Amino acid sequence: MRSCDPGPPIVGDRAEYILRDDMQTHVLIVGGGVAGLCAATELAGLGLESVIVEKAPFLGGHVARFCCKATDRCNRCAACHLEDLLQDVRSSDRITTLERAEVVAADSSEGRCRLSIAQRPHRIVPGLCDGCRECVRVCPEPGAIVDSPVAGRLELNQSVCRFFTDGSCRACEEVCPQKAVALGEPDRTFVLDASAIVLATGFKPFDASEKPRFGHGLVPGVVTALELEGLLRDENWTPPPTNGGTEPSVAFIQCVGSRDVKAGRNYCSRVCCGYALRLARLLKHRFPGLRPTMFYMDIQTFDRDFQRRLSLAEKEVALVRSIPAEIRKGVDGRPEAIYHGPQETRVVESFDLVVLSIGISPVMPDLPLPALAANEDGFVGTNGEAVVTNLPGVFVAGTLQAPRSIAETISHSIRAAGEAASYIRNISKG
Amino acid sequence: MSAPAVQCLFLTRQPLPEERDFKRVLVIGGDAAARALTSRLAGQGFQVLLVGDTEDGIHGPSILSLPGAILEDVQGFVGAFDVTLKTAGRTVVERVGFVVAAQPADVVLKFSDHGVSPSERVVSLSEMEASLGSGWLASLRREEWLHVAFLFGLTGESDPYAFSRVLSALEAFRQFDRVQCYVFARQLKVAADGLERRYRACRERGALFFRFDGEGPEIETEAGGPSLVFVDPLLGQEMELDADLLVVDEHVSPPASLGPLLKTIPSAPAFAPYLQPESHRFSGVETARPGILAVGASRGVFLPELIDADIEAAAVYLQKFPASTCSNHSWGPPEIDQAKCTICLTCVRLCPHAAISFRKKAEVDPLTCVRCGICAAECPMKAISLAPPDTANSGLEDLVKNGLDESTAPERIVAFLCSRSAALALDAAGPAAAAGIIPVVVPCAGAIDLSHILAAFRHGAGGVVAAGCFTGNCASIYGTILAGQRAEQAGEILEASGIDPARVVFAQVAANTPGVLIRAFGGLRSRLRDRA
Repeated sequence: MRSCDPGPPIVGDRAEYILRDDMQTHVLIVGGGVAGLCAATELAGLGLESVIVEKAPFLGGHVARFCCKATDRCNRCAACHLEDLLQDVRSSDRITTLERAEVVAADSSEGRCRLSIAQRPHRIVPGLCDGCRECVRVCPEPGAIVDSPVAGRLELNQSVCRFFTDGSCRACEEVCPQKAVALGEPDRTFVLDASAIVLATGFKPFDASEKPRFGHGLVPGVVTALELEGLLRDENWTPPPTNGGTEPSVAFIQCVGSRDVKAGRNYCSRVCCGYALRLARLLKHRFPGLRPTMFYMDIQTFDRDFQRRLSLAEKEVALVRSIPAEIRKGVDGRPEAIYHGPQETRVVESFDLVVLSIGISPVMPDLPLPALAANEDGFVGTNGEAVVTNLPGVFVAGTLQAPRSIAETISHSIRAAGEAASYIRNISKG
Repeated sequence: MSAPAVQCLFLTRQPLPEERDFKRVLVIGGDAAARALTSRLAGQGFQVLLVGDTEDGIHGPSILSLPGAILEDVQGFVGAFDVTLKTAGRTVVERVGFVVAAQPADVVLKFSDHGVSPSERVVSLSEMEASLGSGWLASLRREEWLHVAFLFGLTGESDPYAFSRVLSALEAFRQFDRVQCYVFARQLKVAADGLERRYRACRERGALFFRFDGEGPEIETEAGGPSLVFVDPLLGQEMELDADLLVVDEHVSPPASLGPLLKTIPSAPAFAPYLQPESHRFSGVETARPGILAVGASRGVFLPELIDADIEAAAVYLQKFPASTCSNHSWGPPEIDQAKCTICLTCVRLCPHAAISFRKKAEVDPLTCVRCGICAAECPMKAISLAPPDTANSGLEDLVKNGLDESTAPERIVAFLCSRSAALALDAAGPAAAAGIIPVVVPCAGAIDLSHILAAFRHGAGGVVAAGCFTGNCASIYGTILAGQRAEQAGEILEASGIDPARVVFAQVAANTPGVLIRAFGGLRSRLRDRA
C-alpha cells in the first residue's frame, strides 16, 4: 500500500509527494469499508491502480466495530474478512489510501474526472502519542477524544471538539506531554485524475430513536445490536446483573427500521436475522445459563446451510413470532416487553437486556457530482443488484446500493471492479 | 467436520504441465446463466467450450458449444486441465485452462412431503409458471371465483428466490378476473431486492397470507379438488378451503452433475454437495481447487441477479489469475525429496486443493499449491519441506530454534501462529500480550507438525501454543483441525514422558479475537510460573 497516512514524525509531505509523482489513477474509490477495500484489491488484481478516499481516520467502516461470532467453530459472519482485505491492501503497490479525506470538487470531461481531495491531518499524531490519556482527562467535551478501532490509538472527533465548534478550547494540546496534539494543522488538498469512480460509502444504521416505543436511550438495558457488537468485542464483558438470582435473559427485537412502511422502510434489511441469531448463540456460548429470546416477523434465510443453522438456534434461542408493541421500564428497573402472545393475548415479560436489531438505512453520498438516481427505497442506483449508476463511469459497490451482508458485499464489489475495469478498457480503446 | 478418512477419489497421474493455456475455458451449463457467462468470456478474448446446454447452445468465432455433452472427468492442473466429455455416445478429451461449473440448480418436488399427488388441480410451481399463458386456467374454473392456494416453505426452510416466484405468480393472477389467491407459509422470505414491497402490494390487492408456527394445513385431494383444513393462526378458528388449484412449492439443491468435479478435490466431503467451501476465504466464485470455479447453484446462489454477479466474478478471476497467483506467495512451494518419497500417497490424499500429482514420485503443481504446508506436516517419510520466506531459515524447526536462542524471556513460550488469523490477532493484541512470546508464523496451522512441537521442547521451550483459525474458517478446510490433533498428540507424548501435557495449548483464533490469544498466553504463563 502506498499509504498517505505518513505516520509520525511527519517528515515532509509524503502523501503529496506520492500523488505529485503521478497525478493520475485509474479508479477513485470513495469509502474504505469492506466494499471499497474489496473493489481496490480486485482492481489491483486486474492491473489497475486505485486511490481510496476515506472520511474516517481509519479503514474498515462499520465492520471494524463488529465482533467475531465464532462459538466453538466459525459461524461465518465474515467480520474477520476485513483483516484479510486490509492485509491485501497494505501489500499492494497499486492501492493508495487517503484516510481523513473527502472529495471536495469534481470536474469531469472526456472520460476523465479531475478531483480535488482534502485531507485533514492527524489531530492526535500516532507514534508521538504514547497513550498517557492526559488529553482525555482534561477534555471538557464528552466524545471529543475517543479510542480508535486501531488498537492503542486515540482520535479527535472534530464535530464535537470545542476547538472546531467554537474555537474555545485547546486544553488537550496544552496538556499533552508528547506534543502529539495538532489542532491548528491545516488541511491538505490534492488534485487527482481518475478514469472511473467506485462509490462505496456504505449505509447508515437505523437510528433507534426514530422508534421511541422500543425505549432506546429512554429505558436502561436497551441497546442496539451494533452497540452489542461493540460490547462483545471486549471479551471480558458480562451481561447486566439480574434481579432475583435467575440467569440473565436477553431479548432480540427484529425488524427495527425494516419492513416498516411507517418508518419509511418498505424493505427487509436482509442481514438482521443472521446477525441476531449469531449474536444470540454467541451470548449463549459465553454465558451458558443465559436465556435468549428472539421476537420476529419471519426468519429470513441467510445462508445455504440455513435449515441446519436454524435448528441449532432453536435449541438455544426462544423464537417468538411477535414484535413487541412497547419496551418500558419495569418496576424492578429492568426493561419489560409488552407483546401479543398466541391468540391475541397480552404478555408482559421482563428481560435483563433488550437488543434492537436495527436495519440498514440508505445514505446518499455527499459528493460534488451531478445528482445520483436513487431507487424507491432511497438506495443509490436503480436496478436490482446492478453496479452502474445514471452517471457514466460512476459505479456502486456494497450497501449504498441495497442492504447486503459482508459476503454479498464482497460479490457485489468484485462485480463493480470488473465492470469498472471493462469501462476503462473501452474508453481507452477510444 | 473432521479430517477426511481415506476416501475414493480420482488420483491425478499426469505429469506436471510443461505448457499452460490461460485462454481456454470449459463452461458447464444448462441454462441462460451459462450462455451469458459464455458470451461474457468470449467478449473478453477467451475461447469457450460450453457443454451441457439444454438448448441448441450459442455459437460464435471463439465458442464451441456441445449441447448435451456431459463432463465425466477432470485431470491435470490449472492452465492444463484435461477434461473428459461424453457426447452422443463418443468420448472426447479436451485441454482447457479453467473449468467453470454454472449448472442450474436441481429442482426437488415437494408433493410427497405434503402427502399429495400431482394432478390437473395439484401442480408444482414450475408447471404453473409454464402454463400461465395458456387457456388452461379458464378450464379449471368451476364457480364464479377461482381459488388458488400456494404452499410455501411448510416442509423445510425456503428462500427468497422461491418467494419471488410465488409473488410473480400472484402478480400474474391479477390480470385474470375473479381469482382469489391464498399463500400457506411458515416464514415469508423477503430478504432480496423489492420482495417486501411486492409482498405488501399483493396483500393489499387481496392475496391472503396464512403464516403457521405449528401445524400447517391438512390437505385432502380425494373428492374432486384439493381442500385444505387449517386453524387460522391469527383468529384461532378452524377453516376449510376448497381450492380449484393447489400450487406446491419446490426446493432447489446444488446440481448433482457436480459429482465428477467434487471427486477430484480431496477436501470436498467438507462442503459437498456444493463445489465452494462455505467460508469467506473463498471469495466470489473461487473453490478449494484453483482453476475450478463455482457459479450460481454450484455454490448455493439461486437469485438470478446474484448469478449475474457470479458471472462477472468468474470473468474477473480468469483475467487476473495468471498474474495474481504467480506473485502471491511469500513461502516457497513444497519441495519433495524424491529419494525419500515412497509414493504412499498421503500427500495426494490430504492436499485440500488437489495440487499434488504422482507418476513415479509425488510432484507438486506450484500454480495450484496455496502453500498451506499440510503435505509437509503429514508426510510420514518427512520427504516434503516448505521453505519459509526468510531464506536464512531452512525450515520451521530452524525458525523455532533460532527464536529460542535469541529469546531471553523466562517462560520461553513458542507460539505457532496461522498467518491468516493468529498472526494478525497477535498484532492486534499489542506488545504487552506478545512480551516474551517467540512467534513462529506458519502459512496455515495445518503446517504445524508433531515434530515441530516436540522440537520446540527439545530446544528448551517452556510451553507451546499452536493457534489456527476457527473450524470452518480455515483456508485449507481442515488445516486447523489437523493442527488441533497434532497438539493433542504432543500432549499425550509429553504426558507419557512425565511432562505436564498442559504445556501444549491449542487455540482457535480469528484475526479479530486477540483476546483468545491473550488468554491462551496468560494461562500458559501462569501455569509455567506455578510449576517454577
